[in-house]
Amino acid sequence: MSQGGLWDSQLTQVLKLMPATIMPREETWQLGLKSWKQRKESFTADVLASDGRLVSVPPPSSQLESRDKLWRLHSALLQCRSLLERAIAKEEEELGGEKKADYETQRKLVKDRLSLLLINTGELLKSVDGAGGPVSQRGRIGDGPTSVFEMKVWVYRIFKEVDHWTKTAITTLQAMPTVITKERARTVRARATRSARR
Amino acid sequence: MPHLSISPSCSSIWLICILLTIHTHAKDALTVPQVRLSADWDTQQLTISWQGGAATTFDLMILRTELNETVFYETVNVPLNQASGQHQWTWTSVEPLECTSLSIKIRSRDGQTTSEWSNTQILQGNDLPSKETFQVYPQDRIVPVGTNTTFCCIVEEGKVFGSILYGNRVINTRRLSRRSYAATIVNQGPSTRTGTNVICYDDPKTKLSGSVVFVGYPPLPTDFACETQDLSSAVCQWNEGRDSHLYGKRETYYSVNKSPQQKRREISFNRWDGNWTLVAVNHLGQYTLTDFAELGHRVHLVAPANLTSVNRAWDTTVAWQWKFDSYSSLALECQVELTSNGQKTKRTFSGVGLRSVVLSDLHPDEDYSVQVRCGAQENFWKWGNWSKPFSFKTSTTDTSVAPINLTKIAAFKSGRVIATVIAKNNAGASQPANIPLRLTGVEPLTASRAVYVDGGFPLYWQSDANATCGYVVEWHDTSCMSDCPVEWIKVAAGNTNVSVESVPSSLALLSTRQQGSNILLTWGEIPLVNRRGFILGFNVYMSNGSQFTLLANLSDRGARNYTVKGLPEGSYKFTVKAYTVAGEGTGAPASITLEPYTDWLILEILTSLGITALFLVIVTFICYKKRKWVKKAFYPDIPEPKLPGDWSRTPGPLDVKPSSHSVVHIVERPELDSSKEMLVVIPEEDEDEEGQGIGDEPVDTDEPASLRYYNQVVDERPIRPRFPDSSASSASSLDSGTHRCDGSSEDQQPQAELSVNCGGGGGGYRPQMQPRAQSEDMGLASPEPFLEPQAAIAGGYKPQSSWHFDSPVEAGESAGRAPSLGSPTSVASTEFLLPGGEEHAEEKQQLSSSAATWFTNLLSSTKP
Repeated sequence: MSQGGLWDSQLTQVLKLMPATIMPREETWQLGLKSWKQRKESFTADVLASDGRLVSVPPPSSQLESRDKLWRLHSALLQCRSLLERAIAKEEEELGGEKKADYETQRKLVKDRLSLLLINTGELLKSVDGAGGPVSQRGRIGDGPTSVFEMKVWVYRIFKEVDHWTKTAITTLQAMPTVITKERARTVRARATRSARR
Repeated sequence: MPHLSISPSCSSIWLICILLTIHTHAKDALTVPQVRLSADWDTQQLTISWQGGAATTFDLMILRTELNETVFYETVNVPLNQASGQHQWTWTSVEPLECTSLSIKIRSRDGQTTSEWSNTQILQGNDLPSKETFQVYPQDRIVPVGTNTTFCCIVEEGKVFGSILYGNRVINTRRLSRRSYAATIVNQGPSTRTGTNVICYDDPKTKLSGSVVFVGYPPLPTDFACETQDLSSAVCQWNEGRDSHLYGKRETYYSVNKSPQQKRREISFNRWDGNWTLVAVNHLGQYTLTDFAELGHRVHLVAPANLTSVNRAWDTTVAWQWKFDSYSSLALECQVELTSNGQKTKRTFSGVGLRSVVLSDLHPDEDYSVQVRCGAQENFWKWGNWSKPFSFKTSTTDTSVAPINLTKIAAFKSGRVIATVIAKNNAGASQPANIPLRLTGVEPLTASRAVYVDGGFPLYWQSDANATCGYVVEWHDTSCMSDCPVEWIKVAAGNTNVSVESVPSSLALLSTRQQGSNILLTWGEIPLVNRRGFILGFNVYMSNGSQFTLLANLSDRGARNYTVKGLPEGSYKFTVKAYTVAGEGTGAPASITLEPYTDWLILEILTSLGITALFLVIVTFICYKKRKWVKKAFYPDIPEPKLPGDWSRTPGPLDVKPSSHSVVHIVERPELDSSKEMLVVIPEEDEDEEGQGIGDEPVDTDEPASLRYYNQVVDERPIRPRFPDSSASSASSLDSGTHRCDGSSEDQQPQAELSVNCGGGGGGYRPQMQPRAQSEDMGLASPEPFLEPQAAIAGGYKPQSSWHFDSPVEAGESAGRAPSLGSPTSVASTEFLLPGGEEHAEEKQQLSSSAATWFTNLLSSTKP
């Protein structure tokens, strides 16, 4: 059996066995943005949305195979978690933190769910490549925020990235079984063609 | 330098020249300053240094470079700094120095003499074209509550300034330069944990920039105190006091006796110092607190640990251990909180190095929980920490005394019961104890009246020298015959009196009865068992909802009834309560509804009937006496028609005989009973025998009386020719409850004009035809639409239109026969027998009108 065939069957199997938590409801991932807004910051950084992305991954392409899509997704989620951890640390340094406050609680919840999603996508990748290939874990560090206001905007943009990539993850994973089936069929047809030529 | 020459004519010119020369020399003496600038961006301070020679007074001018607006222009006195050899002056800007470029120039002044202005030095702001970005200043400023802060917004190159918001509030701005705008926030309130945002938008809102300002207070800690737990080291604690509103890295830092700064509000020292100084610092200031105390005055004991117990039936020894051995020589005071069945009690013990206490007065076989805490007995500072809760259960091995368990009745001896009491528990049974009880039902001893005091009565007895454990007072109801509950009180040794509670008696059943217009309340004697005291009398109450109104106080103990008088009709509730010296009993309620007195009612009815009868008699008599006037007024004679020819020669009443075949009209109404739907055939014999046939008619058997009465009336009347009097002719229609149409025959032609030709549309003689509209109305009111054309065709002979209302056309059967009685109804009227389904108000009007007509007829018939 070729490497791709094994990957496909294992992915299908893992997806079937995957805990329901890997497919969270969409709104749960918006907690970060919601809690940020609930903190009554008196502004939203939506007007800064055009300031470029914090997570850098190869551009999406319809030509990518399922495995490559998963690699891309996993890489982006890793950067998200790294950025989120930095954001949490920076916020606590600058503003302190109440462990029982709503914002801090929901921020931790987002981080925990992101970690769970990363574990599951990591398991999928392991099932394909064994130990897994090199994945960029660091987001675009840049100079980092130099003032409290910049930090607030930066944290907001990180939440936007987390929101975007978790939604992408849901879409990608949901579409994965169908894609795998098509790819498998394509593979079978190719083999049949090659056999016929022989 | 001007050349000097002597010329008297030019003396004044010379003077001027000299003065100018002097002035020029003086000017030359003032040095033009050489200026250097140094900016502190955080404090918004601009330090200006210059070399200005010997002058000490200078003119300083500061302008906003772009708009050339003067920000500062004053003459200042700045002495020469001998060390640096320079003059130095510091200026604090209202706006952040980044907001826009500033131009500074200085000149020396000596009185009115000034030097030239120095070269302009420019402090470049961040609104230079080379710095294109969107900026807001100052950033991350920390200011005390109540201060004013000026922010400036430098719009991105190429953008248009929009607005500046402080939190959610738009604030007024002023322009500093082409791209820079400033706004001042006055009297700032404390900010939240994340600071207050200052946001600058362009116009339209495509971009934003901002800053965060933290507004708070300097530190103000409270309750700083140091104490010891192990009697050697020290632990100092304090409270934050006033909220500084500063968090994160702006939070207040603390230091005690120059220890490293920390955020925690507790610090430990290995040795007891005795003097402590707390310094609290944040970005807005610092605060110092001191504490002084000897070690023995600040002992805060740790919580007792490892609690154990030795349990007995009635007491328990609880022991614990101390973390520090140093406590063994310390005089301690300990609190033990004992919890049993949810009840908490605190007991206090003391002793040197106390490690155990005995908890007495417990109950056997009970679950308890204890917590212990202690403090120094001398120089008490505060209670130590509570130990963890410790649970234990008292033992059950002691059987000397136990709750009474009455097991059997031993014997009856001359009216006395001996009860044997054996105490039992897990360890076995106790020795039996005999308790003599008085047998109930035995004649009680002579009763004596006790004095009621404070809810009971006092009972005294002589002390018994043999009594060591006290007394037990038992009692039961004297009236109780069997299975009587015995109540008892245990009285401590030494006491020879007790107060026994007593409750006033209740009352036997109360009954009520009406006697005429009064109410008689009766009640029975209160049974002895319910008395519970000497009854002094009764109180009678009338209850009105929840309120009792005292009607009577009956001090007669033998009273068994009471009469309530003078009450109007209605429902009443009464309560009779017996009372003793202890007060009233519960009482017995009873209700009654007072009804009107029937004898009077009957009398009233009879009186009314008598008056009515008398009135009728008087009216009848008057009418009889004045019958002429009445007839003239209400029933004048109808002028008889003048008939040409020999009609008057008709020898007698006309006999209208129908043809051999009877004409039958079917009058049908579904909802009526079958007797009214039947076909009625009027034989000639019936027609001839007017006056006697009605009663035998099979039709209208429901209403025979009215018809019979009518017949009687007709019988009394003298037989008159029908044709001259239309009213008489019309009366013939009343001899039957059916509708009849005579077929016109040759020999009856003369009469045919008085009757109606049913089949012919033209009909006979119709002196006054009913209006068409009325016919239509009737048709609409008719329950049977198919009858309408027939009725319209038949029309009916209606001698006078005023009699229209008497016409039975609209008088249904249910409306009674009265309207038709005596009315000059046409014999051809087909509507007379139509059952009236609906009763209209109009019909009622007709009824009254017809009744008047009948009355008139009656009077006419009595005419001699």
